[in-house]
Amino acid sequence: MTLPAISGRVAYIFPDDYDVDQIVGVKNIKIQDVDQLAELALEKLGPAFRERVRPGDVLVAGANFGYGHPHFPAMKAMRKLGIRAVLAESFFPVYWRGEISNGFPQIACAGITVLARPGDAIEIDFAACRVRLPALGRELSFPPYARSELAMLEAGGFRAWLKQSIAAEQQEKHR
Amino acid sequence: MGHTIAEKILARVSGRPGLRAGDELLARPDFVLAYELRGYTDVYFRDMKSFGADTVRDPKRFAIFIDHRVPSKTPEDEKLHVDTRAWCTEHGVPLFDRVGIGHQVAAEAGYAVPGSFSVHFDGHISQLGAFGALAMGLRSDVFEAFVRDGVSLRVPDSVLVRLHGRPGPGVMARDIFHHLLYRHGSRFAAFRVLEYGGAGLDALSVEGLQVMTGLAMFAGAVTAIVPPGSGRAGAQPLPPALVQVPAMHPDPDASYAACIDVDLAEVVPMVVLPPSPANAEPLEQHVGLPVDAGYLGSCASGRLEDLHAAAAILRGRKLAPGFSLHVVPTSQAIMAAAAADGTLGVLIEAGAFVSSPSCDFCSGNIATLAPGQKAVSTGTLNVPGRMGATDADIYLCSAATLAASALEGRLCDPRRYLAQAAGEFA
Repeated sequence: MTLPAISGRVAYIFPDDYDVDQIVGVKNIKIQDVDQLAELALEKLGPAFRERVRPGDVLVAGANFGYGHPHFPAMKAMRKLGIRAVLAESFFPVYWRGEISNGFPQIACAGITVLARPGDAIEIDFAACRVRLPALGRELSFPPYARSELAMLEAGGFRAWLKQSIAAEQQEKHR
Repeated sequence: MGHTIAEKILARVSGRPGLRAGDELLARPDFVLAYELRGYTDVYFRDMKSFGADTVRDPKRFAIFIDHRVPSKTPEDEKLHVDTRAWCTEHGVPLFDRVGIGHQVAAEAGYAVPGSFSVHFDGHISQLGAFGALAMGLRSDVFEAFVRDGVSLRVPDSVLVRLHGRPGPGVMARDIFHHLLYRHGSRFAAFRVLEYGGAGLDALSVEGLQVMTGLAMFAGAVTAIVPPGSGRAGAQPLPPALVQVPAMHPDPDASYAACIDVDLAEVVPMVVLPPSPANAEPLEQHVGLPVDAGYLGSCASGRLEDLHAAAAILRGRKLAPGFSLHVVPTSQAIMAAAAADGTLGVLIEAGAFVSSPSCDFCSGNIATLAPGQKAVSTGTLNVPGRMGATDADIYLCSAATLAASALEGRLCDPRRYLAQAAGEFA
């Protein structure tokens, strides 16, 4: 049981205690249209992000990423832009649970903000729980997911996982 | 090596005695609680069937609260209430319809059983921990409890906060929690259970402990809990328990991820500055900052202790000219008690606008702030846009600080007025 490795680049680095609602702006939190949300994220995070970001990239953040009262539109926008994972020094649990539940890989990688710079190539090996920065020749490790978290990520989110999990339970009963 | 309360409760509900932090399990909640909210409960009700569940198992374990969009402002709001009422009737699930903010009503109605395990989607349910209950907010994952007989969890570590001494006059439970954030930061309990202990517990009221457990998420905690005790100041009799389960206490040699000691005598009135619930600072550094509006209420604050603290300061006085104060008792039961003992009369005489319980003041659906306004609030959050305009500023504080600030139209230390009040009654 593991996730396919990710090989991408660092699109943006967020500071500690970052309130993700700022990514699209609190005023826009009720917008459902993902194209519009993605456009807002490009606008709010500035020209450097707009020019750099491309599908396959990842985000990097400081400690307690997602602190506050996190809503889902910010990461809907990021997924629309092709962001594949978020690596942070640590996460706010409310945010973490919500995004793992959305099937979006979040990686608690202590030391990442010390090493990573915007534009750096980055490789994530979920089987080994390691992050590699090839340009620096440096590696960092991250703690393994809980079984249910990993299963949710593999299934593509909480609801798909729950359906599979209940079906497996039924099969077990009828055996 | 002994066990924490959280480990013991999760061991019971998963049938795995001796489990430890880090173990993974399917835990069967004693109670599954949820307030009606578009995108949450309506989706659960709609989608259960497609997950193979025609109805919930043991409907009496479930409770639904109508406390958001109360009173309805649009036909769509009211239609949601109508649909929720119909679902609860059809499935035999208890419904608490506009009788208060659900997290408080749950305690009043007997769901805060010491030793019990509850789940909700909203993390502020952690406040059942004041009664020795373990209650966790699982966001959308609470849906698992609607369609199968358990929720998938990893047993969290605990952080022990030992309280010593007693708080000085004018210092409320809200200040104690904000003091913890100020001293130990916004993530000292990240992914852990915040367990309160120490002899200082008995200097606090159960209502105060509801505040300190209910806000636990802002220290990163997944929930908070207090060992049940009879010595709590102003302890009211527990409501009738809806299940019989053993109350749990931590073992003396339980293993904690960290221990923090707090001398309650050192705590001073605090304020949390916008735009983040992490920005707790001593109030004295910000005294004099002009404020236009105030909100006394929410699942965090708005109980009798808070209303009494505000009334002690506002009695016989008038709000600052142009200051708008909204007072919203947390539940109908609290409102009735505050009406009976004269507290509401004092607040109304002072110029407060008093409303029936609703979650909507805390989230800016009612009493909305205009751009540029500054508010003092006992609500849960001060992030931009929480109470209306995204460029309105929200300063979180205790009910006492809020009342004193409402009198002056600027941030004000409540101890000044409390000293005067004591003098008046001497």
